[in-house]
This record gives sequence, C-alpha cells and structure tokens, in this order.
Amino acid sequence: MKISLNWIGEFVDLSGYSPEELMDLLTLHTTEVEGLAWFADEIQDVIVGEVISCIGHPDADKLSVTEVSFGGEGPVNVVCGAPNVRQGLKVAFAPLGASLPGGLKIKKAKLRGVQSIGMICSEKELELGDSHAGIMELPSDAPVGARLVDYLDLLDPVLEVDNKAINHRPDLWGHYGFAREFAAILKRDLAPISLFEDWPTDPSAVNVSVTEAEVCPFYSVTSFAVPVSSNSSPLAIQRRLLAVGQRPVGLVVDLTNYVLLETGQPTHAFDAKKVAGQQLHVRCAAAGESLITLDEEIRSLTPQDLVIADSSGPVALAGVMGGSGTQVDASTQEFLLEAASFSATQIRRTSHRFGLRSESSARFEKTLDVSLPVLAQARFAHLLLEHCPEAAITGAPVPVGDSTPEEIHLTMDVARVAERLGLSLSPEEMAQTLDRLGFPVTVQDGDLQVQVPSWRSSKDIRLPVDLEEEVGRLVGYDQIQPKPLTAPLEPTSLSQEQLLSRRLATCLVGSHCSYQTQGYSFLSSEALQKWGLSLEGYVPIQNPVHEGADLLRKDPLFSLCEQAVGNEREVSAGVLFEMGKGYSARMDSTGEPQERHWLGLVSWNLNTLGANHVKGSFRSLRGIMEDLLSRAGKNVALAEKTIPPLSPLGNPSRILTWTSGPQETPVAQIFQIHPALRSDFGFVSQDVSLLLLDLGLLSQALDAPFLFQAPARFPAIKVDVSLALPKAVTFAETEAALRQAAGKFLSNLVLFDQFEGEGLPAGFKSLAFRATLRSSDKTLSEKEEKKYLKAASRIAEELGGHLRS
Amino acid sequence: MKDRLEELRTEGLQALGAASSLSSLKASEVQLLGKKGALTTLLKGVGALPPEERPLIGQLANQVKKAFAEKVASVSTALKEAQIAAELDSAGFDSTLPSAPLTLGGAHPVQVITRELEDLFLSMGFRVADGPEVELEANNFDALNIPADHPARESHDTIWVQEAAGETPGLCMRTHTSPVQIRTLREAGAPLRVIAPGRVFRQETQDATHDHTFHQMEGLVVDRGVGVPQMLHAMNAMIEGVFGKHLKTRIRPGYFPFVEPGFELDAQCPFCEAGCSVCKGSRWIELIGCGLVHPKVLKKSGVDPDIYSGFAFGVGLSRLAMLRYGIRDVRWMLGGSISFLSQFSE
Repeated sequence: MKISLNWIGEFVDLSGYSPEELMDLLTLHTTEVEGLAWFADEIQDVIVGEVISCIGHPDADKLSVTEVSFGGEGPVNVVCGAPNVRQGLKVAFAPLGASLPGGLKIKKAKLRGVQSIGMICSEKELELGDSHAGIMELPSDAPVGARLVDYLDLLDPVLEVDNKAINHRPDLWGHYGFAREFAAILKRDLAPISLFEDWPTDPSAVNVSVTEAEVCPFYSVTSFAVPVSSNSSPLAIQRRLLAVGQRPVGLVVDLTNYVLLETGQPTHAFDAKKVAGQQLHVRCAAAGESLITLDEEIRSLTPQDLVIADSSGPVALAGVMGGSGTQVDASTQEFLLEAASFSATQIRRTSHRFGLRSESSARFEKTLDVSLPVLAQARFAHLLLEHCPEAAITGAPVPVGDSTPEEIHLTMDVARVAERLGLSLSPEEMAQTLDRLGFPVTVQDGDLQVQVPSWRSSKDIRLPVDLEEEVGRLVGYDQIQPKPLTAPLEPTSLSQEQLLSRRLATCLVGSHCSYQTQGYSFLSSEALQKWGLSLEGYVPIQNPVHEGADLLRKDPLFSLCEQAVGNEREVSAGVLFEMGKGYSARMDSTGEPQERHWLGLVSWNLNTLGANHVKGSFRSLRGIMEDLLSRAGKNVALAEKTIPPLSPLGNPSRILTWTSGPQETPVAQIFQIHPALRSDFGFVSQDVSLLLLDLGLLSQALDAPFLFQAPARFPAIKVDVSLALPKAVTFAETEAALRQAAGKFLSNLVLFDQFEGEGLPAGFKSLAFRATLRSSDKTLSEKEEKKYLKAASRIAEELGGHLRS
Repeated sequence: MKDRLEELRTEGLQALGAASSLSSLKASEVQLLGKKGALTTLLKGVGALPPEERPLIGQLANQVKKAFAEKVASVSTALKEAQIAAELDSAGFDSTLPSAPLTLGGAHPVQVITRELEDLFLSMGFRVADGPEVELEANNFDALNIPADHPARESHDTIWVQEAAGETPGLCMRTHTSPVQIRTLREAGAPLRVIAPGRVFRQETQDATHDHTFHQMEGLVVDRGVGVPQMLHAMNAMIEGVFGKHLKTRIRPGYFPFVEPGFELDAQCPFCEAGCSVCKGSRWIELIGCGLVHPKVLKKSGVDPDIYSGFAFGVGLSRLAMLRYGIRDVRWMLGGSISFLSQFSE
C-alpha cells in the first residue's frame, strides 16, 4: 500500500523530520516500510509557461508554431501539435535540457523546417493523467517561471508498506490510521477529519432493506445531486490519488476512492436513475442470477454470494465490486452513496470464488470498524460540497442496522507487562503511552483499565496481552536490555537418532568421499508409471506445485539418482547421500502418514574412487556400509535369507540386507540399481549402487557390546593361499570353512584377490586369502603354517576344487 | 696365507672405501666379515697351517679385521654426513610441486549451519526436536492461533495432502516448523527449551530467491519469568554464532498469530557499513521472526499462561546459509550439484 506523506501531513505536523526519518520511525514503531519514492520527481524540470503567440505551421496543418515565455530567459520558439494550444494559455513547459518521465530528454529539434526549443506537455506525458487529447491547461493566474511541481504542490514522498504486514490492522488500511500512528510516535496532535454534519431532515428517497443482517450488520444510503459539468475532480483530489497510484476517473468515483484511501472505509455510488424501483436490498443472490461487474465480466451468482439488488435484480456484488448497469458516469446527475459493514469472511469467500480482489474487498476482508461507514458518508459529503459547491445532498442517510462498535474493556497488569517486556514503566507512563494511540485509560490500584477504541477493537485487540505491543512499540523496543536465560543446570544432549545421523554423516563425508545433499520430497506419478513402477503406497498431493511433483517420495533414492545423473557429465565417479524423510500412505495411530528417516546413498563407478580399489562398486559399497554399521555401534547382522529391495529402484538379485532384533527387521540394505531403471534415469555409468539405511530403526537397535582387546605381543605370521574353486561356490561358504579349519591361531582372514579365466579349468574361479596367524603366548613356527596350509588344501578339495599355491 | 691376508686387506679396504651408500657398504662388509665372508673363509684355512705360523697369522687376521671395522666406521660416518648434507641442500628439491588430487567429500551448507546452531543451543540447555513434515492442519494452523479464514493462512501458500472433510482431518506439508512447538509443548510441558530445525514447504514458483522446499529452525522457551530481554539475549547469541562476530540487532513490530507481541528481528548487515546489495541499502537485514508465546497457544498446549510465559522464534536456515556463504540462487540448495556441495565442509 502506498502512503502519501503529504496526505498524512493534513492531519499531523510532520515538520522537522525527513521522509527517510519518518520511514524509519514507522518501521521501528508500527510496520515495515519497504520503500520510499517521490511522486512527481520526474517532472521537476517542468516550468509554468505562457503561450505569447501562436500561428499555424507554414508546412503542416496540424502543427502550431508558438512562442513560449517561461521566466528568466527570453521566449523560445516551440512547435506544438495539440489542438488546444492558443495564445495566452498557461502551460506546463519542458525547456531545453529538461527530463521527463520515462527518461525522455528535451533537445533542440526541427519540425518540418521550423526550430523548436522545448516541449509543451500533456497530462499523460507528465504522468498526471490519461489525457493525451491536448496539452495540459493551467489556470490563467499560474505564475510563469515557477516549477510546475511547486505551483501544484505535487512533490510527495510516498511510502510503500507491505500489505501482508498489516493484515491484522484494519485501522491501517487508510491514511488516517497512519496519521494516528505518526501522531503517537512523534507525540504530536492528530487533527480530526472534517465531516459534514448538517444533514437534511428528509431521508433520501430510497427504500433500503437488509435480509442478511448476520453478514451485513449495517447498511446506509444517502442521495446526492451533482451538476453534469463538474465531472472531473479538482487537482487537490487528483494529486492525492495519483500519488498513491489511483487513476482519477471522475468526481464522484474519485471521491469514493479518496474516502477509501483516507479512512479505510469503502463506499459505493449508484447512479440513482439506473436503480430500478428506488430500492436497494441487501440479500443473498438467488440461484441463476447474474451480474455484470464494473470490469465488464459476467458473474454467475450463487446463494452464497451477498448482493445489493434493486427491484430488477442484483446491481452490486456486496463489498467486492459494483455492477456496470448502475455505474456513475459523466451523465450522472443524481446518485446514491452506499456506506456499509460487511462480514470479513463473507467478502473473502466471494472474492476468492470469483478470483476478484478489489480495493474494497481487500479492506472488508480485514474486519473493519463498524462505526466507520457513518464517518465515511459524512466525510464524502464534506468533500463533495467542498470541491463542488454546486452539488447538493438531497436526503439524509437512510441507515439499516447497528453501527455501534463492540465495547472492549481490558485490565492490564502493569507489573507483569513490565516484566514480560523488560521495560520498567510506571502505570502512569503506560497509561500515557496508550492514550497517545487513542485508548481511554484509567489507573486503578496500580493496574490499568483500558477501553479499546472502535478502530482497534474490531479484530486486533481483544485480550490484555494485545496491549503489550502497543506500549512496547511506542516506548521503543530499543529501550529493552537483553538478559541471559537462567535455569537449573541440566545436561542436554541430542537424541540417539540425532547422534547417529551426525556420526554417519561425518563418516561418509570424512572417510568415504561422499557429498551430503538435499533432494525434493516430491515425485512425478507420470514418471513412475512410464517406467513401469507401481503407484501403490505413495501419498498423493492435492495441489502439486507443478505436474512433476504430485506424489510424496517413499525414500530419497529417486532424487539422489536424478542428482547423480546431473553430476555424471562433470564427475565420472562419486557418492551422494541424503538424510531425509520418506512418506508412506500408511497412517499411524494419530492419523498422519508414517514417515521414515532414511539415509539414502547413490554411488556411481565407486570402485574407481578413493584408495581402496576393489572390483565392483557393490563390494566397495558393502565396505562403506560395514564401516557405517560399525561406527553406529549397533547390533545388526547380515540377513541369511534374501530380502526384497526396500526401494523399487533395486535389482532384486544384487542385494545385501542387514537386520536387527529377534524379528530380523531389515534396517539397512545395499543393492545395485535395477538395470532397466539405470537407463531410464539416463545413467552413463553401468556401475550404479545404492544404499538405504533406516536411521530410526538403527538407532533403536541394541548397542553392540564393545570390548577392548590388548594388542598382540608376539609376532604374527601371514599365509597366503589361493583356491581354485567351482564358480558356484560362494566367498561366504569358503571363508566360513577356512575360518573353521584354521584353528585357534587365526586372527584375521581377508580375501585379497579373485579372478576367473587364464590358468584355471573351465567353470572355475580363484579366491586368494591372506590369513594372519597369531598366538597370545608364543611366537608361531613353520609347524602352524604348514598345518594351516594342509587345512586349506583339504577345504579346497571338500568344496570341489584344489589349492593353487 | 699371509700374502693372501695382505691382499685381502688391500682389496677389502678398497671395496669398503668405494661404497657409495650405506647399503653397499653393508654388502661389502658382509662380503668381507660375514659368516660366509672372504676373511672368515680364508681363516678356515688356519687349521691347516703349521702350529708356529698360527699365532702370527692370527695376529695379522685380527689386524685386518680391525682395519676393516675401522674403515667401515669411518666410511659409514662419512656417508651419513654426506646424506644429511645432501638432504639439507635445497638444490633439486621443488617444494612447489602439488599434491596428487585428493578425493574428498563435502557437507551441505544448510547441514553445516544446522549443526552449528544445534551445538550452540545445546550449550544453552535446549534440546533438539523433530516433527513430521506431513502435518495435521490442526497443528500447522489452528493450534498456532491461525483458525480457518484467518488472513495469515493466505501468506502460507499451503501444499495440501488431504483437505479436511467431515471426520477426516486436514493434512498438509508443514508450512513452517512452528507446529513442532505445539507437539513438544504438549508432550514435555513446561518448563521447556527446544529448537526444531527442518524442512518446510510452500506453494511457490521457483526462482532465484524462492523455492517450494526450504529449511527453517523453530525455537521455543517456556518458563517462569521469561520475556523479551531473554529472547533478545538468545537471538543475539544465535546471530553471533552464525556470523562469527557481534552484530547489532534491533526488533520492530511484526505479526505472527502465535505470538503476542510479535517482532521482526533485524541484524546489522554483516557485509557493509553504508548499504549494499544484500541489505538493499538499508544496512539492516531481516533475519528472525519472534515474539512472546501467545497465551492461547500455551493454553491449547496445556500450559497455564498465568504461571508460565515464553518466547518463540523462527529463522530461515536456507536464508542464513545463503547470507553467510554469499549464495545468490536458492535453487543450488536442492540441486545436488557436486561442484556446489564440494565447497562446504564442517
């Protein structure tokens, strides 16, 4: 919303403060001011000139050649194309070198051979109106040589206030509300709004009725007459409207806008001749009724919409927009002014249903002061007679309903307020502060009895606590001294799950060359279906941000794969992981979808990354998982049986699962990506492995016992054996058999090589193990080494193979 | 035999003297003096000599042995000194050579800030709470004093999972972390100090400064005698923690239905003294929404507002990260680019 400081100045003396200072004061004490712009600052070079001669252009019918005098320098020759240019006219003149809105700069020019030095301006060129039909005509007493902005008092600092920030303050939706704030902040007087009081005795000739008092507690209509000649409003009105971005259209409508912008109360004028049956009826629309609103849209109405109707049907969408059929225009001689209270909810719903927001609906939505309509109609009458003395008030207002505001009295506990705000104020100081904002206050037994004025009681201030802000913000929050919190010293720590998440993230980033990322929670059902994945169990979104975000993810792998593909062009091998939520359509006991806290990880060409080169990323990823689980210190075991992938992205036959507890709940899994999906995602790498770990479940698993083992004092012997085995024999069974056969001195057994092909019989593979043999009480000899080799040879034969070395 | 010994002495001393490294010296030493060395082998023939020659030869052999040992010692010392001198000589060593490229990981900037703030608040006796991201409408709005039809709902452009219908409760993607206030307060009661970092969602069209998914952190303190001064102190500590230096702060009126009074907290722009593009020339940057917990919120969560009071605050973690690291486009945050992620570490 734009706030003109000149307008505010009509009610409060702002002298002694720069607009920037006023902007800061308002920000600190009332609401944030987002910007300051000067109205008319782009036409400061324009000067009042007089056309001292005017003759036709020798070579162009529509052009005139004039001499314009504009003060200091002698008259200059100006070619002008306006039809209304004539000798003796006072004009807005842009001399050589002047700048105009839009960056136009006045230069010497030749028009059809005649020199032209300067430009006589139209309202449109000066952005003072829409009229481009001719040049702007100034009154004959305008002083030649004066700056136009000075003569018309146009320069106006205009503050920009964020509408969202004042949603809760209906009183700030008009200039007078801001004037009240400035008066309180600057401790200066607030001038009253001049109102018309001397209403005629006879009521206006209109039949007013309200059927829906619930949503229209007050409705008032007043009749006026205006001479046709007075259609455009005077400059004093226009400049205010223009300064805050409201286009002037004609006297009556301009004044309703003026009253709205000043008081915050919308009013509406109906052309009395166009209102059928001399009646205005506030009622709900009947099904099938329609209305053409002022924007020339046909609105189909429903019984939920509140309308104003004459005897022929709806003539206005109550509080939102008038109808074009009863619109006031240049020919209007008599009109009816509506000033009313409407329910905020009613107006918001209708406004939303039609997608139609107006200055009027924006205000009614805020729950306006119910006493404002009476003030607004009196203000309108005052302004009309002031600016158009020929106008007449043809009847007194005809009110229906009650415009008495609810009286709210609040008791303020001074000591508590002082403690909460951290301001030591006496009851009297608090009372004075509230008084500046127009709250009648009395001090009683050290506490304050506060009456809430009508402009604050409609919505904003209902409870004693609501008064604290009023006191604090006016006294100044900068008076508050920070103080540390005090409390008994109690240890605080992260939860098991939080600690675990941190530990695993640190491990991945620090030890496994992984990047922690964040991915969106949303998925595209279209993509899932296109790739042949079931939509079962996904939570749908009712109003997705975009088409590709209509489901909630179950785990982070989908977005991780997308991000991995995005990185592949630059990074040939990598690991990305995310710790984030997955959502399931299954509801938990509170009626909310279950959420799981996942560690998800994607790796591509993992085996080429870092120092530990192993054939196949799957095995490298297993190493990462084992490290994670060991750092977690939780009791988990590799699952014996095959468990299906926890994610639809997994290849069900390239998978390893870890479980916890007696139920063998799967808590972590690694798998290769499903080969079909790998190409659907657009992976270049053929080697993509994924990891999922349920952080919640893992943190609930039992702690693995930790026992220190004293480092050995006797040297170890290392024995390498290479076993040629049929391909079907797994590493796991070979390793288990070797371990068992190796006896008590085996302290470590690792696979260090694996190959197939050359030097081996067909259908065979080679597994090479390095055993570390060690005793805690002696140095081992060749005897133990030989024993182990013999056992290895036996195992190889039992498994259908033989020892190679 | 004597001649052989003399010959060996000459050859041996020459070989030892010619050693160019400690290892070749050792090899020569072994060749001469080892179990199967030349001297040892030669001396095996002593038994075959006439007894009268033996002492003489024995004496000579000892002399040769001693000469060898002395030679070994002197050559060894010389070689060691030469090696030390060579290592101390800068010639031939290029200290400017780079390391082999390291393969490293990286942290997410929001995670980095979150961790720092968690640690900061843990040190002040707060705990860290988590809440669901699909939230009941009742917790996201109603319990926070934002009833249906409240204009504040309009500024929370909500992504709905399920609109309320009859008995079915409304479910939405939480629009702020504030519902965690409600959950924690209900569960733990007063007194309470808690922060809740997490992701939140709004119906936003994505551009450089807007995303529909971003990160916030909520904070709540409920205790006896807690007011604005305590809130200011905690906020100042947080800002100093994030920016690593003391920044001036100010509060001004702000409106959030679940606090009363409500404030916007601005910090002095950390990047300039006279106005810059970050603070849009104002020298202040808006960082935190905060206020004293509304008595209605306390009551709805089962806490007596006549006994307890408290403050709540909300801060944009994505925004803090962007400010601290000078990230100008929010879309990097959830983009997953390694060239972005590789720039941050804990």
